[in-house]
Amino acid sequence: MLIRWLATLIIAALLLLDLFIPSTSLGRRGTEQDTRREASQSVVRLGEPLPDLALLDLEGRPLDLDALRGHRVLLTFERSVDW
Amino acid sequence: MSTTIYRTLCGALGLGLLGLGLGLFAMFFQYHTPGSPPAEPIPVGPGGAYYQALAGCALVAWGGVLLGAARKPQAAPWIASVTACALVLNAFYRILAWLIGDYAFLGNLLRVEAAIMLLLALAFVWLKPRPLVGQPL
Repeated sequence: MLIRWLATLIIAALLLLDLFIPSTSLGRRGTEQDTRREASQSVVRLGEPLPDLALLDLEGRPLDLDALRGHRVLLTFERSVDW
Repeated sequence: MSTTIYRTLCGALGLGLLGLGLGLFAMFFQYHTPGSPPAEPIPVGPGGAYYQALAGCALVAWGGVLLGAARKPQAAPWIASVTACALVLNAFYRILAWLIGDYAFLGNLLRVEAAIMLLLALAFVWLKPRPLVGQPL
């Protein structure tokens, strides 16, 4: 009987957590609304130069977009995790 | 009365899991069929399809065990305990997935699923049948 009540307590706690979690996700990526709001502030329009980006290449070496000035550059973005 | 509810619960959930398991198993073949459209709502890669099939096989086993419990509930009361545990674990990772935020495109689905699973777990905890002692099963 004690185990039964203990299990009930755990389930009830999880249920309360589930019901009262804020309606927005709290992850580091934030909500879709946050992303859209931030993107609208930093969007680069067609014809405008890209802001300077400092990235890491696949070998982990720093790559500065400024170093590629004068070359044709194709930037693609994709998920790095395959489901 | 509680035995009837327990048997109904086991039977319904068992059938549901069996169907879901077979569906996930079939999605592996759907993924590898040339020219087949990507799965919705979450398109998967080769790894995802592999684990879908694995989960499908496990769900078939789980569903089969629950159908067995529906037929003879007192033969194996432990099925209620392990099912409740599995449902709680399922709900727990859904709550965490919601918090992480990578699944925001699914809306409230994760939370609703977690709530349903926790309620089902509660039902399994309290409807768990007493084992038969000294009687042939």
